Amino acid sequence: MADGPASPGGGSHESGDHSPRSNVREQDRYLPIANISRIMKKALPANGKIAKDAKETVQECVSEFISFITSEASDKCQREKRKTINGDDLLWAMATLGFEDYMDPLKIYLTRYREMEGDTKGSAKGGDSSAKRDVQPSPNAQLAHQGSFSQNVTYPNSQGQHMMVPMQGPE
Amino acid sequence: MAMQTVYLKEHEGLVYNSVGQLSSVTSAPWWSALGSQPVYGEYCGQIKPFSFEISNYVDQFPAGKQAVRGVEQLLDKGHTTTQFTIFPDDCKMSGDAENPQATLSLQSSLAEPHNRFEIGFNQPMICAKYPYMDQFYGLFSAFGPQISGRIMLPINLTSDDGPTYVNAKQYHGIIRRRLSRAKAVLENKMIKRRKPYMHESRHLHALRRPRGCGGRFLNTKGSTNGNGRNESKVNKTGGRQLQSSASQSSEVLHSEVGTLNSSKETNRSSPNISGSEVTSMYSREGFDGFSVNRLGSSVHSLVDMVLSRPLNGLQQYQVTAATLKFD
Repeated sequence: MADGPASPGGGSHESGDHSPRSNVREQDRYLPIANISRIMKKALPANGKIAKDAKETVQECVSEFISFITSEASDKCQREKRKTINGDDLLWAMATLGFEDYMDPLKIYLTRYREMEGDTKGSAKGGDSSAKRDVQPSPNAQLAHQGSFSQNVTYPNSQGQHMMVPMQGPE
Repeated sequence: MAMQTVYLKEHEGLVYNSVGQLSSVTSAPWWSALGSQPVYGEYCGQIKPFSFEISNYVDQFPAGKQAVRGVEQLLDKGHTTTQFTIFPDDCKMSGDAENPQATLSLQSSLAEPHNRFEIGFNQPMICAKYPYMDQFYGLFSAFGPQISGRIMLPINLTSDDGPTYVNAKQYHGIIRRRLSRAKAVLENKMIKRRKPYMHESRHLHALRRPRGCGGRFLNTKGSTNGNGRNESKVNKTGGRQLQSSASQSSEVLHSEVGTLNSSKETNRSSPNISGSEVTSMYSREGFDGFSVNRLGSSVHSLVDMVLSRPLNGLQQYQVTAATLKFD
């Protein structure tokens, strides 16, 4: 990619459409704006409308929030010489950054999520365990996975489940 | 190695946001004051002592003041947004040290496409803080500044020479994020305008589609009804189906995580994906100047979901499009 930065030892980023105008970094910078606007619409009455700049502003806010929480959790994992950020690390990061009110609902969500998905160490779901194994060797996939997870734990249950469908596809 | 790559990706992810904040610095009143400060490296050196100071403040928060911290959290979200605007000073200084022409080109490229950021930040920062609080936390506007001022003042005055206050717990994280964004900006050097569409071929296809009066696409149920009330009804119906298909998609995901090629999953999840895709296409199309189309994008996406139910051919097309999207 001509526009890509010269990153030392950086992994290659795969993009489905290789047309000259497609910008990989925009997809990396922000969450998909269609999914964000769909979540925003759920809070409006049926005839409500959202301006484009409002969607873009919320898109930037949620993307920055995810990076903020993830970088705090990443620092903790680096101190403890671990490579994988898990849900408990994100909960700890939120508590450290002053978002204690998020912890109780997210603990409940994480507990129920693990009950449905099975234990992370077990192999209850073949696809699920293979997906987790794929996360380890590929750093880009790891970050994408963490982004998807934190997105799920941030929203209410119904919206979280709703969001899981389009985000699972790229993985 | 792996963690470093992950970290680099975080940098890339926020290039646009950093530059948006960078443009506001040119109109900030304290820019001339910060111009006399030392270069980027020394500023990094100043960060480390403050982390100890942060730990002192964290220790001063007893568990009994949970309510006060709750109030602070609400206010700190607005403060955090305000706080980000200060950091691009260092990014600009380091850019100036390395390559003055790059800085000039950054300024010229920033002036036009990021006007909406400049509008928000042209006011002095001490006044800009209050609109955030009034807008997001009206109930706490009178009470909040006192808490923030009492707790945060020494840290920010020493490091930033600005009136912005942040939660002491978040101070270190905010500084780290500023460094990450500055690093991403330096690596990319040039920030492109936000793109109106993602894929050229889909954009061309949308241009070729026939449009009715008002600019909306034909071949949808919404365009056949000229009455506003009918559109409203169709919108409600589409909304209900959207939710039902969403729950179905969740069930499919939980039961069959590993089998993406299952016909059952494809059949259930395709309307949801197509809705997302159509909405995305319409919102991108609106960037080209079709304001009516932009206003009606939600109606079009919902109507397309309604229409896609009975038609097998259309469903198959959407499945193919979904496959392309996930490549």
